[in-house]
Amino acid sequence: MKIGLEVHVALPTKTKLFCSDLAYENQEEPNSNVCPVCLGLPGAKPVLNQKALEISTSIAKALNCEINEKTWFVRKVYFYPDLPKGYQITQLDGAVGIKGYVNLNGKRIGIRRVQIEEDPARIIREKDYSLIDFNRSGVPLNEIVTEPDITSLDELKGFIEELRSILYYQGVNINQELKTDLNISLAEKRVEIKNVTGVRNLIAAAEYEIRRQSSLIQEGKEINAETRSYKEDTDETVSSREKETEEEYGFTFEPDLTFYDTTKLSIQKAVIASSVAKELAYKNEYSEKTIRELILFNKKNLSLLIGLSKDEFKKGVSLIEKLASFGIDDYSEEEFKKMIKQDISSLEKDGFLQLLGRTSKYEEKADEEEIEAGIKEMLSLDKSLLDRGINDGKAMGFMIGKVKEKYHVSGKEAADFIKKVIKSMLNN
Amino acid sequence: MTGKFLSLKDDEYKGFISRLKQANEKLNAFNFIDEKEKNGKIISVKDNICVKGMPATASSKILQGYTPGFNATVIERLENAGFSVIGKTNMDEFGFGSFGLNSENLAKNPFNEEYVTGGSSSGSAVATALIKEHVSIAESTGGSISAPASFCGVAGLTPTYGVISRYGLIDYASSLDKIGFMGKSADNIREVMENTIGSDPNDTTSLSTAISNKKPNKLYVIDNLMAGINEGIKDRFEDLLVKLSAKGYKIEHVKMDYLEYSVPAYYILSMSEASTNLAKYQGFKYGFKVKDFSLNYNEFFMSARKQFGKEAKRRVILGTFIRSKSIKQKYYEKALAIRHAIIGRMDKILKDGFIIMPTMPIFTPKISEVKDISPVEAYSMDMLTVPPNLCGFPHLSFPYFYEKGMPLGAQVITDHFNDYSLLDFLSEWENDFQYKFKEEVS
Repeated sequence: MKIGLEVHVALPTKTKLFCSDLAYENQEEPNSNVCPVCLGLPGAKPVLNQKALEISTSIAKALNCEINEKTWFVRKVYFYPDLPKGYQITQLDGAVGIKGYVNLNGKRIGIRRVQIEEDPARIIREKDYSLIDFNRSGVPLNEIVTEPDITSLDELKGFIEELRSILYYQGVNINQELKTDLNISLAEKRVEIKNVTGVRNLIAAAEYEIRRQSSLIQEGKEINAETRSYKEDTDETVSSREKETEEEYGFTFEPDLTFYDTTKLSIQKAVIASSVAKELAYKNEYSEKTIRELILFNKKNLSLLIGLSKDEFKKGVSLIEKLASFGIDDYSEEEFKKMIKQDISSLEKDGFLQLLGRTSKYEEKADEEEIEAGIKEMLSLDKSLLDRGINDGKAMGFMIGKVKEKYHVSGKEAADFIKKVIKSMLNN
Repeated sequence: MTGKFLSLKDDEYKGFISRLKQANEKLNAFNFIDEKEKNGKIISVKDNICVKGMPATASSKILQGYTPGFNATVIERLENAGFSVIGKTNMDEFGFGSFGLNSENLAKNPFNEEYVTGGSSSGSAVATALIKEHVSIAESTGGSISAPASFCGVAGLTPTYGVISRYGLIDYASSLDKIGFMGKSADNIREVMENTIGSDPNDTTSLSTAISNKKPNKLYVIDNLMAGINEGIKDRFEDLLVKLSAKGYKIEHVKMDYLEYSVPAYYILSMSEASTNLAKYQGFKYGFKVKDFSLNYNEFFMSARKQFGKEAKRRVILGTFIRSKSIKQKYYEKALAIRHAIIGRMDKILKDGFIIMPTMPIFTPKISEVKDISPVEAYSMDMLTVPPNLCGFPHLSFPYFYEKGMPLGAQVITDHFNDYSLLDFLSEWENDFQYKFKEEVS
């Protein structure tokens, strides 16, 4: 069995991908959150949202991709009423990240490509006519294309869980935003299930399709290469009866944009955060999947996660208080405390982690804490480094270099921080 | 130096507009003349550049009735600097043409109405010749400023690609489109240009690089480029070189590889981009609207896109073909390589000299002579204007001779960002050269 995915998630930016309209869909009037750029008016030109580039690059790094130092965009040309310019601005060879992977219990699921693209407008189908709402036109999307390396339903579930935790730390909640094209082949012929919305439906569609293809094989029948769609009400996939010709999009370089340098983006904190998240998700596998257990059994990680300093930890500041002190976005401190105290285990870990992921305080702390832990580990492994002591500039330089390499940090600020940590440990 | 522009007092305005409208009836310089009174220095604008509240059709039926609600950056900057837009000038549909023939209402050459104006900025050239002390904001993709400037006896400056923001320009080929200027005084063009340059947050490809005016004393003539040129033009051009060498310029003859591929490379790249830029015209959001909602999507789009003229359809079809997966490498990627090769070669010699050449390889043709020529014949007329356009080098077409009453233009090219040297050259030329025009409206 081979399963490959093309996953689309909305990037959590304030504004659209190529203009300054708000990126999130609100409950406002249709076509009220629009401008010449996202309406594709003649003369308007796209200007790339740097934040979208940062988050997408960050996701690509977290998925262990090779990052294209110079990333660029293409026009994908086709006619559809939801596409105001007659082409979608997307990426192909110049994608932000390529050749990545996700580790799944020691097995690598390949990531072919991580790319940025714009969302088309929304079509609202009425009985005998359709309406178009351009409020969604130009919302930034991230597409993650996997290799067909997933070989079982369990692996698919595992992969989605892994992806979920990685994306949380970039502020993406896949429960709300996930849209997937799913390729499944049990035999030679490839079946594509297009436009499955949400995690639940993705799993249900895969389950159905695996059953369908295996029974065809058992009956000695042939599996057709085809495009199918998923029906939410019956959990079935049905043939879309589309012609199986290769689509011709006439991809061409987007000349209204330029080449973008990804080497200068500030994405390190998010990457480190996402590695912590991965660790949490991994631990989560055997800890009954509740945050309560994370709090009870993985204090180190959680304190990292929420930015609880060692002093606070020693002083016995409770995690719940600390969490509440953030007064995160949608909740007042009181509400948050109440919510957690009432029944922490009933909180869906998704929503909970998401709230944590949105606090920038955490990211800063995690950065330093993790590096500090790394330095300690390194020094405990190589005692001779400590012995040579602080006055040996070479040894210090070597240590700093090692730490920098391990945590992909650079610059004088990082070096100073590492030095400070090492010195403080030598003094103890 | 500041220019001298036509600006009108309230009581003069009505008279001016009626004289302009009268002249426009026979010459078709304008697609639209704004009758509202203006206080500023009068300029006109090619109809593919958006001016808030004025129609913008790019001379296409598919944009009939479209009035943009925003100004192009150049217009915004010029209005802030005290300029007023009098109207929108005629052009080949979407900029597709070298003679001005691809427009419903054909613009006429102000020297003789039987002759072509050149294109695609046909109306800008005519308006510049017609209106006293005028500058028209035009646009060039492959020669759309130089060609009509040459045939209509005005100066045309095409700046370095990226120096003038394209925001608000209705795209033909985004990587080649350059907004530029036509005028009959270097000072006027300079004043307009100085008020438009500089990077624009709304156009990613715009640049903030400073513009220099390094004056070279060498003029390079590319001998192999002169091969396909009309003999009479060659003779006049030789005379021009004699005049320029008397002014102290050193003439040097060189050969340059790959130039014979520049026209095909240009058309491959420009059609490829044009076919995507024209995909937005679908007949339901602005401009021409399809009224029959019983059609399915494909029928609906097709009935809208029938509104394109013949040349627009040709370029969309060829451009789409060029982009198709199986043949992209065969044409598109080779064209890109040619573009880079020519940039490299021109760049080398432009470091210490201008390149000079006639602007067009033929004398101004009559409309009847070129109306029915094949597309390839028409494209080959761009052999001299395409190289600097393909490579984004700034270039100037200036009038230097009147052959049986019709003007002739020559073209000088300089290095990227040395645009002002071309205006210095024009000033120097204007010291001894007298522009001639049949009539001027003021």
